[in-house]
Amino acid sequence: MPKTETETPKMKPRPIVRLAIFLISHSLLVCVVCCTAGVLALLLLPLLAKNTYISENALMPGSASSMISNRDISEANRLASDLSGLNFEPQDAAALESRGILTKYMSDLGAEVSYHKFHHKPNQFHPLHFFSSPDSTSSVDNFSCSAQGVNTVGIIRAPRGDGKEAIVLVTPYKFGKSGTAETLSLSIAYTVFSLLSRVTWLAKDIIWLVADSQYGEYAPVEAWLRDYHTPVFTGLGALNADTCIKIDDLYALEQKPIAQTKISDGFRRAGTMAAALIFKVADRNELLEDTLNIYAEASNGQMPNLDLINIVNYLAVHRQGLRVKVEKVLSLLDSRWLEILGEIFEVLGKVARSLNPGWKFGISAADYVEGSATLASSLYNQALGIPTGPHGAFRDFQVDAITLEISPKVSSHNKARHNEFLLRGGRLVEGVVRSINNLLEKFHQSFFLYMLTSPSKFVSVGVYMIAFALLVAPLPLVAASLYADANQLDLGVKNTKSTTTAPDELDITFRSWKWLYAAKEVFLVHVWGAAVSLLPYFICQIPNCSPTSSSVIWVSLSMLGLLILYLIAGSPSTHVSISQHEEKGEWAILKSVTISAVFIGLLLMSVVNFATAEIGALLLVPMCLMAQPLKLDMKAGKFRSLFRVICNMVLGFVAFPPAAYFVAKTLFEGSDSINMGDFWNWMESLWAWNSATYIYIGMVHLPCWALCLHILLHSC
Amino acid sequence: MSIFLLLFIDNATAYSSHSSSADTTKHTNNWAVLVCTSRFWFNYRHMANTLSLYRTVKRLGIPDERIILMLADDMACNARNKYPAQVFNNENHRLNLYGDNVEVDYRGYEVTVENFLRVLTGRHETAVPRSKRLLSDEGSHILLYMTGHGGDEFLKFQDSEELQSHDLADAVKQMKEKRRFKELLIMVDTCQAATLFNQLHSPGVLAIGSSMKGENSYSHHLDSDVGVSVVDRFTFYTLAFFERLNMYANASLSSLFTSYDPKTMMSTAYYRTDLYHRRLDEVPVTNFFGSLKMMIERTLIDSDVQDPTSHIKTKDQNCPFTRTMNTFFEKVERIEHPDSLVNYGLILMLPLLMVSVWLSS
Repeated sequence: MPKTETETPKMKPRPIVRLAIFLISHSLLVCVVCCTAGVLALLLLPLLAKNTYISENALMPGSASSMISNRDISEANRLASDLSGLNFEPQDAAALESRGILTKYMSDLGAEVSYHKFHHKPNQFHPLHFFSSPDSTSSVDNFSCSAQGVNTVGIIRAPRGDGKEAIVLVTPYKFGKSGTAETLSLSIAYTVFSLLSRVTWLAKDIIWLVADSQYGEYAPVEAWLRDYHTPVFTGLGALNADTCIKIDDLYALEQKPIAQTKISDGFRRAGTMAAALIFKVADRNELLEDTLNIYAEASNGQMPNLDLINIVNYLAVHRQGLRVKVEKVLSLLDSRWLEILGEIFEVLGKVARSLNPGWKFGISAADYVEGSATLASSLYNQALGIPTGPHGAFRDFQVDAITLEISPKVSSHNKARHNEFLLRGGRLVEGVVRSINNLLEKFHQSFFLYMLTSPSKFVSVGVYMIAFALLVAPLPLVAASLYADANQLDLGVKNTKSTTTAPDELDITFRSWKWLYAAKEVFLVHVWGAAVSLLPYFICQIPNCSPTSSSVIWVSLSMLGLLILYLIAGSPSTHVSISQHEEKGEWAILKSVTISAVFIGLLLMSVVNFATAEIGALLLVPMCLMAQPLKLDMKAGKFRSLFRVICNMVLGFVAFPPAAYFVAKTLFEGSDSINMGDFWNWMESLWAWNSATYIYIGMVHLPCWALCLHILLHSC
Repeated sequence: MSIFLLLFIDNATAYSSHSSSADTTKHTNNWAVLVCTSRFWFNYRHMANTLSLYRTVKRLGIPDERIILMLADDMACNARNKYPAQVFNNENHRLNLYGDNVEVDYRGYEVTVENFLRVLTGRHETAVPRSKRLLSDEGSHILLYMTGHGGDEFLKFQDSEELQSHDLADAVKQMKEKRRFKELLIMVDTCQAATLFNQLHSPGVLAIGSSMKGENSYSHHLDSDVGVSVVDRFTFYTLAFFERLNMYANASLSSLFTSYDPKTMMSTAYYRTDLYHRRLDEVPVTNFFGSLKMMIERTLIDSDVQDPTSHIKTKDQNCPFTRTMNTFFEKVERIEHPDSLVNYGLILMLPLLMVSVWLSS
């Protein structure tokens, strides 16, 4: 006994260490298993979607009967006819006139009405504005009087409320040049507003923002929100803004002296916003029934609280009998492979149920395809990081908001049908407002991180994280395994050499710090990536540049940058003249560091915008793991190596951002409209909306692609 | 040996008869402690439950000063209430429960576990007014009604704390030891209400809950005008039972307890009687839900009232002075018109005054 004790003085490594070593030594198998499982988990998500439920007790949607009366509707119709009567006048006059009419109607209801003037400035590329909060000072910059809009804001104070909270209703409206659909949405809003001005149960103030949508729907809402949340201590801003409107105001005063009396010139505020509803009536008509489209994605993949979608969905489906839809990738609906996959899952589900009736995860193939198409759209919209409507502006201020787009059944000019549509829309909005009015705190009960697979089904963060985690899990293992292999390679060499030459102290330290060269290389490529993502700032300055030429300039400048970088810094690896054997390990260490960088980049991105990280991981992880110098595989000449060469080529092509963009575009939209300028426009939209995806592409994806290409073309 | 055993048994019975002296004490008065423990607008029904029961016990004769009403929130003045300052327990809105003469003793954030236990055990700070205290005695019958959100062996107070079944049992035990009640009926309308009684072991306690362990208690109906559920099922059927009764009614507790139908209630009413020594079908509901005065009128008045006087008489036989004094007092008490007696006295004083004046002059 004592003998054995003396024999094993070395402590056994702890189980977790042994497990790690085991995984690292079997990294190839782990890679294959994890990546396959990751992709499979992603495909399984529609199956794992849960039904939505209303999590917050206080909401109680639909528990109160609707109170909208015919009087409200006839009033709204009167407003609509008054407004549409102005369409024959010249535009500016009609705009003023219609604003006056709207104001009169609002103030007749006892609401506080105010105008909010804003200046539209086209989106510009501000490299430093990413992640920064919306800036108030930028609005005071130079502006032109021509690009000016006026929002009309009506506020109803809750009769017995504490005035600390508010619910916002937004209707985008083009004053002076509105279509029937916009007027209809205004009518719905007015119906609700008229009702809310009478009721006794309001606990939160109601703000109705009629957003002047001549410069898009987002800009006016964003401008108003910014001013709402920015206290103005000096009158300077207001003074500045007033210089332009003075003439118009006088004109308006002459026109409508009565209507102007109640309007305050200051900025009116109510309390903290509990939630916001943007609603509009779509121009297009549905064939079967009235349909409600819900748009929820805000900037950088942020979503409003799921409860808000739940109550809207519940009220629309169970109370008003509307068909609720969320966006889908239409081309996926009739894709054959998805259908086959769905059928496989259906069969598997049936088998599982026959084994144990308690297992109910099977869904029908049609549901699966539908769910995947919705999920893909949800994933794409979140990954893009561009808000899908004006609700995005609210999310930037931590207000839960969604856009409701109601499309009526084939428009008949039937009066009864028209009124019924108004009633439905009005009741829906009323129900949602009443439900939110019951709320005691901010929305907090339900999920913020989720993806929708249908209006009443969702995948929560706990489930969709699995797919991503499985995808990125092999990265650190492979990095560690490659590093270990490279070092062992050195050791092996050393042992054979030790017979001839004594090991040099300096040489050993050199070797153990060898990864620093690789790290330097990786770092330089990342710097290049940052430079590439800053290039558009300069390209934008070139006057009269078409998107196509811009993108060509961008790509060629980037390539030039890479070339210069290679010429300057590419040499160090040759400077350090290490023996021929160690050259073999060099690309492995480079790959190891690259993979580590990608791992860190993906993890960071998954915190900022999960969907981007997920899609990015789908593209990057296989490429990173596969990458191996082509020369080596060519030399080997085996079938397996050839296969790897082909895979590497394909992956290397697909992971190149512009290539990925065009491939995706051809897959989903058809190949007829491919234009080099599209990519530029797409990237432009990304930086214009301050999407983190842009930074991700520039700082993580592109450098990683370049490094992988470098490994593929490595001369060993 | 057998003798010893016999002696022991004898002793034991003697002891038990001694200990059950509480049973022989008179029923002196009736108290009610009505507690609504939950806040927030969507718990409107709990306040309506409590107010409905408040109205019922008041109607059946318990005066306001013997009712401790605890309401954790003020629904009547909530901004979301479509009918300001009114509370209804039915969608027909026929009855406003929050009328003029509602005395709420503990309201809003005053309704805490601590205050509730203080009320039960009577350990108040000196500054607490009498109207907020449960001033019961060893002959009191107390109705304790609680409603809110409950779970396995607890009842949630406000949104922050819980009353556990141990706390309740402990408080009841203290009450028993401090002779604060003769009989106690605990009525609880929460989810898993029955679990709240698990730890009780003080004699004289009768408990009824709206649901068994693992069961939920449901609301009865939704008032789509107010936009909330306005009453819970258990309370609704309790009220329906009492609506048929007046303060002289003779319905027994067992008829109340058997009136709960698990099908309509969607939960099983549970009552615990092992601590209570009387037969439920002999105990009228007004024993807890009404006042003693009415009960005396209803039951044998003479025997109850004459009993103490006869007791005094037998005690008075020993001293001649007290006997004469007693006869005098009795005579005085027998005088029918004290006012005329005083007047005659005053008139008698006049000649006395004249005589004294004449003598002194």
